[in-house]
Amino acid sequence: MTLGIIENLINELMRLPGIGRKTAQRLTFFILTMPDEEARSVARAIDEVKEKARFCSQCFNITDAEVCDICRDERRDRKRICVVEEPSNILVIERAKFYRGLYHVLLGAISPIDGITPEKLKIDELVQRVQANGVEEVILATNPNTKGEVTAQYIRERLNAFPVQVTRIAYGLPMGSDIEFADEVTLGKALEGRRRM
Amino acid sequence: MLHRTEAIILKTMPFSEADLIVSALTLEYGLVKTFAKSSRKTKSRFGSSLEPLTYVRTSFWGKEDAALPRLTQADIIRPFQKIRDRMACFFRVMEIVELTLGFLIEREVQRDVFHLLLSILMKIEDEGPANDRDVLNTLLYKIRFLDAVGYGPRLEGCARCGGSGYNFYIAQGSILCGACAKGMDSPVRLSPGMIKSYGTLRSWEVSKSARIRLSRTLLAELSDMLDAHIRYTIAKPLKTKAFQPS
Repeated sequence: MTLGIIENLINELMRLPGIGRKTAQRLTFFILTMPDEEARSVARAIDEVKEKARFCSQCFNITDAEVCDICRDERRDRKRICVVEEPSNILVIERAKFYRGLYHVLLGAISPIDGITPEKLKIDELVQRVQANGVEEVILATNPNTKGEVTAQYIRERLNAFPVQVTRIAYGLPMGSDIEFADEVTLGKALEGRRRM
Repeated sequence: MLHRTEAIILKTMPFSEADLIVSALTLEYGLVKTFAKSSRKTKSRFGSSLEPLTYVRTSFWGKEDAALPRLTQADIIRPFQKIRDRMACFFRVMEIVELTLGFLIEREVQRDVFHLLLSILMKIEDEGPANDRDVLNTLLYKIRFLDAVGYGPRLEGCARCGGSGYNFYIAQGSILCGACAKGMDSPVRLSPGMIKSYGTLRSWEVSKSARIRLSRTLLAELSDMLDAHIRYTIAKPLKTKAFQPS
């Protein structure tokens, strides 16, 4: 019976991305050796996040309130909106400590082959935000791949009717890499987007 | 075993944290799905070589019957970036990609289809931005592709008796004359011009198709007939159809 409980936890942990059987076993036996309160705290945190997590009513970031911390923060530049595909992208941009504006999460990207049309994303909500809030710049930070690019092109067309500057994050070579190993498309885009020094 | 072949990337699907499952039409092995480890990372050695439509020289490693061999290399031969840069054109091309994925069986060698897709992509990119040419080139692909996989509609006279007729029966995938069609559902009436255009698109060499000029009415009629035929054959509409102007 005890083995059944352990097997059950292993199977449940295996549902998580990147966790195979061996890792799940290791985590299970680590949990068994953890102090009771710490193990319960992990369980409570999972429970709480599932119960309280919701999308921000303005930017569709994940939050536990009606409006997320970023949208509530009065010190942020409210004239700029950075458009991203997923809430996890916000964490990465925030970590760079370079951007102090607001965000808008699309919750995906346009993908014809998967049947993901613009109507299935939060694009209409972005247009409404731009229209209503006197936004001066929309930064399109969708992924630099075909889906992200098509999504950016579509949003740019939708926003053409409004007096707002639409910009796209730069393409180019990743820092620390060697130009010798860059492929022609990346290098072409980097040259196309070159800037005066 | 290491396999080397030329391929056209058709579709990628995120897998795990930073990997991709890549569906590609290869010259030597037909439609193949491979696993590209860490390909979504910024410094991935694959770079942009796994973007849809890219024509690449690939290597993948796996046993003959491996369900998901590992992609080890993809060097760009032609990126077809100009197609991806034009949104409307890209949507049209994705329709033929979905068609290809829908009909082909994995690991069944289809050299004709590979050369056809490659030549159509080259034509679309070389002919530059012109919506009517994009429509014609994608139609050309659909007609030739359906013929190659054995699902092409039959429009050269009644499919049963060989007599003349202009009524196309979707469930039969062919034209039937009045006598042979007794008791069948209502057909789609095709114009003689459309049937002639269909024959031209089927028989002309792809390299010479730049000379073909069709009116918008004929293009629309051909598109509608082919879409109805495809929808019936695969028993569902293509997802990419939602991206075409109605």
